[in-house]
Amino acid sequence: MAFAVVLVILVLGSVLFHFLSPWNITPIASNWGSIDVTMLITLVITAVVFIAVNFFIAYAVIKFRHTPERKAQYEPENKKLEWWLTLGTSVGIIAMLAPGLIVYADFVNVPEDAHQVEVVGQQWSWSFRFPGEDGELGKSAIEHISTDNGFGVDPLDGAGQDDRLLTSNTLVLPVNRPVKLLLRSKDVLHNFYVPNFRVKMDSVPGQVSYQWFTPTRTGDFEVLCAEYCGIGHFNMRAFIKVVEQQEYDDWLAGLPTFAQSLKKEASEKLSVKAEKGMQVAQQKGCMACHGFESSPAGPSWLGLYGSTRVMKDGSEVVADDDYLKEAILEPNASVVKGYAPIMPKLELSELEMESVIAFIKERGNETDPEHQQGTDAGKASGAELAQSKGCTACHSIDGSRLVGPSWQGIYGSERTLASGETVTVNDAYLKESMFKPNAKMVEGYPPVMPPSQLSTAQANALIEYIKSL
Amino acid sequence: MTAQEHHAPQSFWTKYIWSQDHKVIAIQYSLTAIFVGLVALVLSTLMRLQLGFPGSFDFIDASAYYQYVTMHGMIMVVYLLTAIFLGGFGNYLIPLMVGARDMVFPFVNMLSYWFYLLAVVVLLASFFVTGGPTGAGWTLYPPQAILPGTPGSDWGIILMLVSLGIFIIAATMGGLNYVTTVLQARTRGMTMMRMPLTIWGIFMATILALLAFPALFVSAIMMLFDKLLGTSFFMPAILSMGEQMGHEGGSPILFQHLFWFFGHPEVYIVALPAFGIVSDLISTHARKNIFGYRMMVWAIVVIGVLSFVVWAHHMYVSGMNPYFGYFFATTTLIIAVPTAIKVYNWVLTLWQGNIRMSVPMLFALGFVSTFTIGGLTGLFLGNVVVDLPLSDTYFVVAHFHMVMGVSPVLVIFGAIYHWYPKMSGKMLHEGMGKFHFWATFLGTYAIFFPMHYLGVLGVPRRYYAYENYDFIPDSAKDLNAFITIAAIFVALAQLVFLFNLAWSYFKGKESGPNPWEATTLEWQTETTPPGHGNWGETVPVCHRWAYDYSVPGYEQDYLPQNYPEEAKV
Amino acid sequence: MTTQTSSKAQGLSGFVQDWSADKEAFQVPWGKAMMWIFLLSDTFVFGCFLIGYMVVRISAVDPWPPATDVFALTIAGQSIPLVLIAIMTFILITSSGTMAMAVNYGYRKNRHKAAWLMLLTAFLGLTFVGMQAFEWTKLIEDGVRPWENPWGAAQFGAVFFMVTGFHGLHVSIGVIYLTIVAIKVLRGHYEKKGYEIVEITGLYWHFVDLVWVFIFAFFYLW
Repeated sequence: MAFAVVLVILVLGSVLFHFLSPWNITPIASNWGSIDVTMLITLVITAVVFIAVNFFIAYAVIKFRHTPERKAQYEPENKKLEWWLTLGTSVGIIAMLAPGLIVYADFVNVPEDAHQVEVVGQQWSWSFRFPGEDGELGKSAIEHISTDNGFGVDPLDGAGQDDRLLTSNTLVLPVNRPVKLLLRSKDVLHNFYVPNFRVKMDSVPGQVSYQWFTPTRTGDFEVLCAEYCGIGHFNMRAFIKVVEQQEYDDWLAGLPTFAQSLKKEASEKLSVKAEKGMQVAQQKGCMACHGFESSPAGPSWLGLYGSTRVMKDGSEVVADDDYLKEAILEPNASVVKGYAPIMPKLELSELEMESVIAFIKERGNETDPEHQQGTDAGKASGAELAQSKGCTACHSIDGSRLVGPSWQGIYGSERTLASGETVTVNDAYLKESMFKPNAKMVEGYPPVMPPSQLSTAQANALIEYIKSL
Repeated sequence: MTAQEHHAPQSFWTKYIWSQDHKVIAIQYSLTAIFVGLVALVLSTLMRLQLGFPGSFDFIDASAYYQYVTMHGMIMVVYLLTAIFLGGFGNYLIPLMVGARDMVFPFVNMLSYWFYLLAVVVLLASFFVTGGPTGAGWTLYPPQAILPGTPGSDWGIILMLVSLGIFIIAATMGGLNYVTTVLQARTRGMTMMRMPLTIWGIFMATILALLAFPALFVSAIMMLFDKLLGTSFFMPAILSMGEQMGHEGGSPILFQHLFWFFGHPEVYIVALPAFGIVSDLISTHARKNIFGYRMMVWAIVVIGVLSFVVWAHHMYVSGMNPYFGYFFATTTLIIAVPTAIKVYNWVLTLWQGNIRMSVPMLFALGFVSTFTIGGLTGLFLGNVVVDLPLSDTYFVVAHFHMVMGVSPVLVIFGAIYHWYPKMSGKMLHEGMGKFHFWATFLGTYAIFFPMHYLGVLGVPRRYYAYENYDFIPDSAKDLNAFITIAAIFVALAQLVFLFNLAWSYFKGKESGPNPWEATTLEWQTETTPPGHGNWGETVPVCHRWAYDYSVPGYEQDYLPQNYPEEAKV
Repeated sequence: MTTQTSSKAQGLSGFVQDWSADKEAFQVPWGKAMMWIFLLSDTFVFGCFLIGYMVVRISAVDPWPPATDVFALTIAGQSIPLVLIAIMTFILITSSGTMAMAVNYGYRKNRHKAAWLMLLTAFLGLTFVGMQAFEWTKLIEDGVRPWENPWGAAQFGAVFFMVTGFHGLHVSIGVIYLTIVAIKVLRGHYEKKGYEIVEITGLYWHFVDLVWVFIFAFFYLW
């Protein structure tokens, strides 16, 4: 008896809970209202079954409760009833599956006019890439990833040159335009999910997966990682800002292109382009005759770029881009005085040529003060960097403990390391921690920090920010 | 055959430790499983403390949290539920219910337990190694499971995989015994279609285990190779902590296919014995034959077979070929049909019954109610497009706890209250039992019913904390606190059950041989508890099916299976 | 009272009769039933290994080393592809033949012939394992490792060692199993119990042989 009453209360309470609960599906902001409808159909059908089964049990345990006089019925089976129940259930199942598969077909078939955005997940932040005017994303690979090439775009792929890069964690999208997100991962499984847009998909290292949706209203939305990706999974943040088309276009035009990023950043090494140029120069055999010492075979590249040289016929020439290009493609057209016309003709693509020239320029002119400044595509503040580079996934700024030590009050404080020694947290320590994270771990924290991909300027900006906390 | 020829064990060691008696082995399995289940229960309480009251306990940092999540999950699914249903109930009930003296190969059966114990020891050892136990989630997905960035990616994951390998060997040894005994060692008159549904459920589950565990075994070997030998079965070219790893060309999705090819049948390995047992509990305590026995058998078989073709419904958002979604959504929703039929048949058994609300019956009905919810929410998740917003949210957590954590556990409790008298000759204390039921049933409902709504809201699973997410209202934090309190309450209530088990063994009411007046053969033994060889001089002969309750024309309201008259069915 | 009939019906009606019988579903000794079921489970293990291999081969980024070249031996100046594998296959298939003969003699109660044929089978199995060990050594010398090899996709070595390793383990266990049973047969241990044990051992051995045929087909010939 008590059981029946409790069951009825539970059912009624559950139904009441459903209508009164403040925890409902987030307001939809995409075209996937059809998913909500399918969910509602499923809810109605399942709710009917839930109520029916429980009420039936409650009724039965009261009506057929044991009494000394009662004798239960003896009915091994009732084929007709079982048949009808099977049929009814099948109808209910089809009523849920059919709309489900129809809506799913929409998800599988991406609209032709969807624009593409690449989303790259890594432990524990997101970055984004746009195809640029050519409408094509450049090829990418893990092997190309470096501090200055976070997306791993192939520097020799023409299609990638105009790709726009976004390393901050706020993605802007135009309203009412279908977008196909191409999902990539650099390390482990992640999943890009915005509750208001409904759809989600894992990003799998080694392949490209996709999801698509059309944002239907402007606003700010939160992105969640929805596939466990390690200790920072719960704080792997990003945001989507849906705006009008014009605002989007303006914003997109302001993002740096991949080609721009290839130029020297303020890191002390060669730019990506020049690094590639060095590889090309080695592969094509240039270094056999040239190089940065004096060489009897061909002119040294040390200090070559921009300098004036005397040619065989007595004329003077400035060794600029055009000259170098000609020298590579038509080697013996004009030869520098004092050298024999023995340079072989080489086959180089436009991009390969540019990369070699970048190499000659950077390596050859390393003492050039012009190169100490470096380009910076929009100096980001320390606070912005802390978010966009993913630092705040693990380090809080309010004193709470996430994965790593909180930055609040850390500058100037004394910390005990895992090794036992104490250290004062100053500029040098912070810098070392950014680039060699596990060298001096603070005691009590797991050694899971990845080395930062920052330029010196960015590292300095972050340190200033940390000082202010 | 050979099994029955060996003499009764004489010494303490051969009677209670190195025993080849299926009943002793069953108790060994059950006690070990309950012990390790309590460890997992404590872990879940710690998890809930963090979720309900974030940051209150310093030692529960993100690393520890993920380790608790992983170990709780793996222990519960494999080392508690699978072990207790197959190794505990399977071992105890199969020979008794089919009229055999013991399993077909008692020595191998004994080995099975000791391998299981070794697997448990290896698993628990991972708490004490450098880096602690693995924190990769019970699904152990690569690449993260073997990379730094995930807790326990040194020794923790290695011990986990080794422990699973040992468990699989144990399960195979036991499983071969259970299947062969059911197929080949039944007593005279015991046809397959006269076996109680408890046996059908465990039998089918064991077949599933023998065919599904190989996939887990292979994926564990491959992951161990990837970790220890640097192979690339599951590892594509990736960066880890900024460094390019040496792997190339592997597929993380291959692991998921192998894992879930095991993982989905695994949940039916847990559910099918529960289905079978609950049929017998309801039937016995309602004094009425199970409704539609034949359909129930077919449903068990069909569910078992279909369980092998639904696995990728765990992978709808994995990045696998999206066209697979059509196929797996269809098969998944088809499997709902035989499952629903079982639910109808359970409740139809109550119709025109003579229902005794004993403690086992309470638990059995609690199962039907909670399994109905759990199964129904499965329909949301099985329908691929509806799964898109719900995957990896608390909706999934609520669903699988209802179908795996609540309903089968209610059955385990009900089954223990039901068969404890057979095993010990004593009744479990009824008052404590009723308290245990109400606390557990209402408490778990309070924990998991509201949790679905957090999932609908979009709150993701496997999050250590939810600070600063605007879309999560503050009231959700209150809900989490409420759920934690309920969880602590339910956990504490289990102490009453444990106390009852121990107390009743010494002080419980004498039960007699058949306190529930049940028809199945295990209640017809000469002695209670049954002695060596189960049946004394002569093995019973089976004359009827297992459900001759309230047969018209007889005074007593049950006819045991060995009741020697012409069968009416 | 039993519902079992004594005639052995065939086909579908036989199937129905088996499953509606009391006592046992298959009229075989328990050990034989258990071995069949174990082999079914083990089939799934090797099936998963081979499927995993096929997936990895398709998804590997580098070309797969051609088995014909990798497994060639130079004999008398001629490079003969897959010769060792061919010999190994021949040996294993022959061993299945000797095993079948042993079963036959076992049922005819000819202890000595049965036991010696089993020992011959074990010896052939041991030869197989020896040749496999030789092949492993040769490949390791050539630079094949689970994580790399000189010729192509790194997974080649991983799959090779894993699959042949597990198969070789099964063969080795079979050799031990055969030897133990053969000795017991010789000693007359099974006079009373019957010689089903020889057939059960034979089942295991034929399974091991059949798995090799699949490995041969999928890994070496493809």
